[in-house]
Amino acid sequence: MSLQLTRRTFLKAGFTTAAIGATGLPLEALPTEAKGWNWERGVCRFCGTGCGIRIASKEGRVVAVKGDPQNPVNRGLLCAKGYACAQILYGADRLKRPLLRKKNGVYDKQGDFEEVTWKEAFDVMKAQWTKAHQALGPTGVAVMGSGQYTIMEGYAAVKLVKAGWRSNNLDPNARHCMASAVTAFMQTFGIDEPSGCFDDIELTDAVITWGANMAEMHPMLWARVMDERLRRPDYRVINLTTYANATSEGADLEIVFKPNTDLAIWNYLAREIVKRGAVDQDYVAKHCVFAAGAVDIGFGLREDILKAYPAEKDTLARQKTVVLTRDEAIAQGLNPDARHERPQTASSTPQQHWLITYEEFQKGLEPYTLDFVARVAKGDPDESIEAFKAKLVQLADDYANPKRKQVSFWTMGFNQHTRGTWVNEQAYMVHLLTGKQARPGAGAFSLTGQPSACGTAREVGTFAHRLPADMTVDNPAHRKDAEAIWNLPPNTINPKVGSHIVQMMRDLEDGKIRWLWVQVTNPFQSSANANHTIEAARKHDNFIVVSDVYPTLSAKVADLILPSAMIYEKWGGYGNAERRTQLWRQVVLPPGEARSDVWQMMEFAKRFTLAEVWGEQPIPGLEAPGFTKGKLPDVLAAAAAQGLKPESTLYDVLFATNAAKACAWPDPVAFDKPNSTVVHANIRWFPEKALFEEYRRFGLGHGHDLAPFDTYFQRDVAGLRWPVVEGKETLWRFNDEYDPYAKKGSGIDFYGTAMKKLPSGDLTGPKPGEAKALPGRAKIFFRPWQEPPESPDATYDLWLCTGRVLEHWHSGSMTRRVPQLHAAVPEALLFMHAKDAEKRGLKVGELAWIESRRGKIQARVTLGGRNKVPRGLVYVPWFDEGVFINKVTLDATCPISKETDFKKCAVRITKVV
Amino acid sequence: MRHSILLLTLCAAPVLAGPPVKPVPDRDLGLSRTSVFEVTPPPLFHDEASAPGEKSLPKRINKEYPPVIPHAVADFLPITQSANGCVDCHAVPGPKQKGEATPIPASHYVDLRRVPVVKGEALVGARYVCLSCHVPRTDAPPLVASTFRR
Repeated sequence: MSLQLTRRTFLKAGFTTAAIGATGLPLEALPTEAKGWNWERGVCRFCGTGCGIRIASKEGRVVAVKGDPQNPVNRGLLCAKGYACAQILYGADRLKRPLLRKKNGVYDKQGDFEEVTWKEAFDVMKAQWTKAHQALGPTGVAVMGSGQYTIMEGYAAVKLVKAGWRSNNLDPNARHCMASAVTAFMQTFGIDEPSGCFDDIELTDAVITWGANMAEMHPMLWARVMDERLRRPDYRVINLTTYANATSEGADLEIVFKPNTDLAIWNYLAREIVKRGAVDQDYVAKHCVFAAGAVDIGFGLREDILKAYPAEKDTLARQKTVVLTRDEAIAQGLNPDARHERPQTASSTPQQHWLITYEEFQKGLEPYTLDFVARVAKGDPDESIEAFKAKLVQLADDYANPKRKQVSFWTMGFNQHTRGTWVNEQAYMVHLLTGKQARPGAGAFSLTGQPSACGTAREVGTFAHRLPADMTVDNPAHRKDAEAIWNLPPNTINPKVGSHIVQMMRDLEDGKIRWLWVQVTNPFQSSANANHTIEAARKHDNFIVVSDVYPTLSAKVADLILPSAMIYEKWGGYGNAERRTQLWRQVVLPPGEARSDVWQMMEFAKRFTLAEVWGEQPIPGLEAPGFTKGKLPDVLAAAAAQGLKPESTLYDVLFATNAAKACAWPDPVAFDKPNSTVVHANIRWFPEKALFEEYRRFGLGHGHDLAPFDTYFQRDVAGLRWPVVEGKETLWRFNDEYDPYAKKGSGIDFYGTAMKKLPSGDLTGPKPGEAKALPGRAKIFFRPWQEPPESPDATYDLWLCTGRVLEHWHSGSMTRRVPQLHAAVPEALLFMHAKDAEKRGLKVGELAWIESRRGKIQARVTLGGRNKVPRGLVYVPWFDEGVFINKVTLDATCPISKETDFKKCAVRITKVV
Repeated sequence: MRHSILLLTLCAAPVLAGPPVKPVPDRDLGLSRTSVFEVTPPPLFHDEASAPGEKSLPKRINKEYPPVIPHAVADFLPITQSANGCVDCHAVPGPKQKGEATPIPASHYVDLRRVPVVKGEALVGARYVCLSCHVPRTDAPPLVASTFRR
């Protein structure tokens, strides 16, 4: 790149370059601004990058946005979606009044949508809640949340569902997004979230992307990668993927592997590192242990086949028993000529793991030779095995070079994977072996897809098993902590983990959940195997509420639609992928009767008295010390002793507490910005601040410290990376130079405490004996490569991979209403290889059936463009409800994380005639 | 026409109370006017086919939004480390001359992250992948009207 400007233009550019100060950063190097515009700081609505944004408003409307030059994440730039953050508010079909299905003036599941008042909406919603609760108890109701919840919304939902309703049926769409990253963090480090930060991009020598099409999915991080690559000739970008994509175009090296074989490639790398003597012996000896886990763990599919379509049954059978292929036998060090039938005995305890020796670890790696892995993993049938091997060697050369630092980034390719937890752990395996973890410029780094997957779903803990700050509902000490902060009687919180989002869909189909509230997500479009879920929603006896800003596909299957406020129409905060917490002020008012989600939850909570929810409750399957089997105790008497009366409402007890009311509104931090939650609730206190300040108490003092609410609004603060201790953010966790929680003098201190006491054993299982404590250490896991639940065969002969596109956010409900984004990518196309298309008589633009065991849809064929798929694989984006690809996908999950694998199933393609 | 009637009913409804609005079946909500159970053939759209300079520039959304690419892009892609077909034409000094590509603006030569090696002479690396911000277009009309205005 040697783009030169003439002198004339250079001088013209002077107006901005002159503004560069001592730091090289212009403070306001932007075009002159229109008069009467009021600029406010905020965060982009979309991905996990968390770009800083400036929002201009005029006469009560957002009129423009631009990148915040002071925000170190994006330094003044935004992607095509980010720049549309103003337009997404103004689709003409914004929901402005509640809509309820009615016939003859009353609610009817088979009725059409009619506008109703909020009062009528909540009346019906509550009556239906009570009906489900009376029939089934707390497990009969559920809330599907989101990695796009603001921190405050997620926290309000946790309180309402877990403390109020004593149900743990709260789970976010983030389950589909990075649950595998979470489980791998917990198993490896004993604490969630990345050690590194985005500064690693500028400090490393190589960016290696694994199942992360960063160029499209995190464009502003990719901008930083390309910026660095173009200025440093020795900087390397390597893209590992199952098809050539936009990230490949900017990479130095592209490795196209067969779906699911990333596990084999990691083991090849680890084996090479060991064989070449590239293990950082000191780092491993001081900071690591070796571990292995259960192998026959199934695929997270349904255990029963009662609801299965006939064609689904053969795939479902693999949940019970697997017969190893020859290659799988080799990979496990078994005789490839013998038959190995493996009942999936560990499918209910997939998380089980134990310590092994370094020798045993090496034994596990031994089958993963270059020859074997190249044969198993080569993803492009038109590439020679020698060329593929040479690429694997180049990859190993970089990782095994002690003089070079690497950052391994991944997103959905790893996380949406039936062995998602394992493959995440394998990235840590290589980085820990080489001592390249938790150091500036070196580390395995999970990128999140959603703007607050970290900040809300994980940190606040809107998962079925979580409480705030990495705590879990099945841990008695954690429940006690939460009950103390929430001022609840002992044993109010349900100790049984609730249904995760995939299970919620199955529960809906099985009649085990009959009341569902969907917030800030579109799960009936985004969940796999959708023919089952939409039928369950529309044809079974249940009540579904969808709170959203536009009528989504989920709204279409709902019984009640509630109009919500959008991002800049409410106060909020997100936490991005590098642990950066960023809060924003409300800028404009929500349209019509749209209300913030915080208001919706607080207002709905007014309709519950303690007497209804805190008496004895049935919880099928509950077994926990201190609890009667199958029951939650009556805590009303204990509540009364704490001054909480049976007739008190959940609003009084959970939200309008004395501490909350002490956060007064108006508040000087608002600088005269509005708060519609306050206005609509007719209160004199500041709910979003109260929720944040209370939530913050969970994390203080044990590695999750956030700054006070007001700090995030200081002019010189563009978000802060937690833990924030004594006003200082933490760039590299576990590293004693940077992280105040790492023991001084330790160098590296993996201080997470979860799952840090383990028995010892070998690759086949744990041996009897004392469990060993592992303070300060991370685990290096051996994880084998295995075949996926479903692979192409004679009938369904192609791999299907799904994903996103740069121009659209998730299910497209916002971006498809932005004219130029819609015009750029108006529909989801079927990306095919020319030879595969030709074989089926298909040409560009023609209609094809895409059919799996679960369903079929139509899409138009493309043979080129941004994704160039190898023969044998097709790709379809999922943003387009008109090309409803999740009717085709398989609802297999990582058995540990319960995250769906949207990246591989088997399909057949035929021409529409 | 069903589409526009629905827009009227949803958007023109008085804010608080108003005359009763006709019930809306779920198939008429949202971006696909079908039942969720139906499988329908998606429409056929065409990528912009005009050569650079052939069509007049579309009106910009506002000056903060990066201009949409008005011409066909296939011949100029991919953008790689060594080749950038966009820059080949657009790296003209400006102001815009007749028959020349729209010049890359001065803002693109200002490094907001660090002190550039030579201030203001090279396109900033962070802006090298033009398609991150500038989108191409097809002939697809908007799915839903927008009330955005500046």
